[in-house]
Amino acid sequence: MATLELQGLTKRFGEFTAVDSMNLKAAEGEMIALLGGSGCGKTTTLRMIAGFTEPTAGQILVDGKNVSTIPPYRRNIGIFFQNYALFPHMTVFENVAFGLKLQKLPKNEIRERVEHMLALVKLTGMDKRYPRQLSGGQQQRVALARALVTRPSILLLDEPLSNLDAKLRVEMQVEIKRIQKELGITTIIVTHDHEEAVSLADRVIVMNAGHILQIGKPQEVFDRPASPFIADFMGFSTFLHGIAAGAEGDMRLIRCGAHTLQVPAEAAQELTEGDACILAIRSENIRTAEQEGVNTVRGTVKSATYKGHTTRLEVSGCFEEMVYPAIHEYADVQEGSEVLLHFPAQHFCVYKDIK
Amino acid sequence: MREKDVNLPCRIFAILVMLFLLAPLVVIVIASFTPTALITFPPQGFSLKWYANIFGSSTHFMDGLVNSLKIGILATAADILLGVTAALSVCRYSFKGKDALLNYYTSPMYVPSVAFAFVLLQVYSQIGGVPGMLRIFIGHLIIILPYIVRNTVSVLHVFNWTLEDAATSMGATPIQVFFKITIPLARPGIMAGALLAFLYSFDEVALSSLLSTPRFITLPIRIMNYMELTFDPTLAAISTLLILASLVLIVLMEKFVGLDMFVK
Repeated sequence: MATLELQGLTKRFGEFTAVDSMNLKAAEGEMIALLGGSGCGKTTTLRMIAGFTEPTAGQILVDGKNVSTIPPYRRNIGIFFQNYALFPHMTVFENVAFGLKLQKLPKNEIRERVEHMLALVKLTGMDKRYPRQLSGGQQQRVALARALVTRPSILLLDEPLSNLDAKLRVEMQVEIKRIQKELGITTIIVTHDHEEAVSLADRVIVMNAGHILQIGKPQEVFDRPASPFIADFMGFSTFLHGIAAGAEGDMRLIRCGAHTLQVPAEAAQELTEGDACILAIRSENIRTAEQEGVNTVRGTVKSATYKGHTTRLEVSGCFEEMVYPAIHEYADVQEGSEVLLHFPAQHFCVYKDIK
Repeated sequence: MREKDVNLPCRIFAILVMLFLLAPLVVIVIASFTPTALITFPPQGFSLKWYANIFGSSTHFMDGLVNSLKIGILATAADILLGVTAALSVCRYSFKGKDALLNYYTSPMYVPSVAFAFVLLQVYSQIGGVPGMLRIFIGHLIIILPYIVRNTVSVLHVFNWTLEDAATSMGATPIQVFFKITIPLARPGIMAGALLAFLYSFDEVALSSLLSTPRFITLPIRIMNYMELTFDPTLAAISTLLILASLVLIVLMEKFVGLDMFVK
């Protein structure tokens, strides 16, 4: 267990700045997700913490001690690699025991610790198999056991769930969280998948172009992204351009094309009348309505895609922009038909349009 | 589904091709047991005396064999060091002119060995007094290098370099990573290359015949010299033994390459 602190961590590759003076403090036992698209600097940050990449500037502190100059093989950091990186010429036991053998521990202690770790990831009895004889999920558990068996001070997870099918993902999410809490190890996850980030981490850090855009609890980042860019990345689908147009009780009015929508006043605090703004809302929060009312708008269905538990629509004619509701009722929705949509005020995120 | 049955003309053609490849070898093997001094086929009777002749002192075949083994083993061993490091240099790092460098490493494959031997001969005569073994060793060192480089590169080309990072993160120093991860995983390619290189050196005639001195002659040259003077079944006998030795090596190679350690 340890704390991890990044101070002004910077990495430049020639002209290109991959990570730009990043600051971060992870408490003991905390699980933090670095979330961003490819090229946002999250992997470079991970590699700098691991010691594979040398920072251009800044410091990495583990338990308050600067480790930037310590070579990677003496940092005692456990890493879980995206493609697992299991040694194909070694059995499961040898893979997990690799780090312990390097420490020249007594044989029976190695056996004990490997077996304990394999039990923790529910792979007891698999120790004599080779990685190629295991399923994807099992390989992943070996990789996790191997990263943890040396009792590292920090655990780094690189896209831990991206190679798994949907069912295994959910299973491993629960598993990783359970093991991380059980061992209380400070953990950094790197991922491009917002669902993975919010379901695993205690705190989520959204990155783009080497900068931190937002730090917050999973719910904050998921429900209240700090900018339209983050909202887009967090899975918001419908974005409406509008103009702030006065207030009504504790609601603010936003004019979007021919319609006026209401949003909660506290969501639109930074807007003054006449400001251009952007409203963002998730597909699943747009509903169909029986009758006209506040925030209902009529539109024409352009396409309807059945997705199992929801049906995703493309609706035009509501505003200038296309609207993408995901509705539960399929019955009377067909391409070309008219729908009355309700945009619940509390689900809108409101941003000043800075352009 | 692929068709399982090949039609008859195809089969006959395939069998003829195989016979064409195999027939000379069979003739040589059978002829080696001829009791008469002239190679006749089919042989009149059975004798092992030509085999005894190989090991007799008059032919010097055994000296040639020892020399060839010395050259083959030393040159291959030295080239494993050179070839593996050369292969690592072009696979591990990305830099400008990487492909050109790889082509440079493998260029001895494309230069005619006679031309190459001629140049070496010039150099040796300039220096003067270069011992016979060193003359051939240097030549072989260069011409067999491409086999080791190529085979090692083909393995490293698909090598998962993250494995090195993984080992490092578990506390392995760069040297430990090299010997516990990189080398064991590249071994099938290195071994395949080494066997091909050794066989090439063991069999090499053109370069060796130009560079050899009367005091240091390799087995193929010894056989050639013998053939010029005498044409008896001793040649068939030694050919049979060489075929046998090659077979053993090929089986060994199959075993090494067939392990498929690097296939996930």
